[in-house]
Amino acid sequence: MKWDTIDLKTYFKSKEYVDTVCIPLVPLNLSNETDAIKFANYQQTIQIIAKEVERNFTGRVLLSPVYTYFSEGSYEAEQERINQWTELMFGEDFKHKFFLTFDLKWKKEEKGLDGTLLWLPASMIEDYQSEVTKKWIMDQKSQVSELIRSFWQ
Amino acid sequence: MSEKKQQVSRRQFLNYTLTGVGGFMAASMLAPMVRFAIDPVLKASAGGDMQAVADVSEITTEPQRFEWTVEQVDAWYTSDVTHSAWVYKNENDEIVPLSPVCKHLGCQVNWAGNEDYPDQFYCPCHDGRYLKDGTNVPNTPPDAPLDLFEYEVKDGTLYLGQPVPREEV
Repeated sequence: MKWDTIDLKTYFKSKEYVDTVCIPLVPLNLSNETDAIKFANYQQTIQIIAKEVERNFTGRVLLSPVYTYFSEGSYEAEQERINQWTELMFGEDFKHKFFLTFDLKWKKEEKGLDGTLLWLPASMIEDYQSEVTKKWIMDQKSQVSELIRSFWQ
Repeated sequence: MSEKKQQVSRRQFLNYTLTGVGGFMAASMLAPMVRFAIDPVLKASAGGDMQAVADVSEITTEPQRFEWTVEQVDAWYTSDVTHSAWVYKNENDEIVPLSPVCKHLGCQVNWAGNEDYPDQFYCPCHDGRYLKDGTNVPNTPPDAPLDLFEYEVKDGTLYLGQPVPREEV
């Protein structure tokens, strides 16, 4: 279920069937051009993948809005804030919490996160319409979906 | 000459002009109204957009998943939306294009998605199941059969339209 009026209505009607939340983590930075562009690209790509996964598992996965943070801040402090945020937002209702990110710095902080980190190796995408990109996104989608499914069993 | 000039009197001339101008004004008001009245007839059927999905030669008796992308324009932005279908040929050699969207809460079902049910569609979210023709298996969460796409075959290519819901069997 997506974070929009239609899907949220369905969510409140069928709460008991939705036990998984997917939260994209996206770093932000505007101090240098390379990073700013790179992170903007991350955001676009991670959202495409997240939406595809959501499309696959509409009835059981809630796709959270993107969680953004300053890329040069302390990841330890950020991790605490994320834990607090997810606890307040999604608390007990969601048995499975997945953080979806291209930011490799999370890999080191993984243990502290209150949920499962799905770190995907990033690739800068120039052309979203190309067949290669589409295939890459489909691959990412099916692997992430498979992983999420394995947690349900 | 002078008699000919008298053929159109001032009164007649004014009559003609006023009728002409009045008629023109009435027409310019009525024409759009007529247009509005018959508008539904003129509109291309909204769902009539058929998309090329697969080559008919690719379709076998085993359901296969085909994906295609449609450019969707709404008021604010244009986006590409991916759609999928499970397609196979039944015993009568008819093409069966099923929507993969589970009728329970909208996950995507997979053919033979569960080892225990190799000849059914399976929904990984809440164990919903459907027979090959899309009929929902009783006592699983879905309460309706999978939607069937409108379809047509042109020059060996399968075109799909909108998914059409079916009554519970």
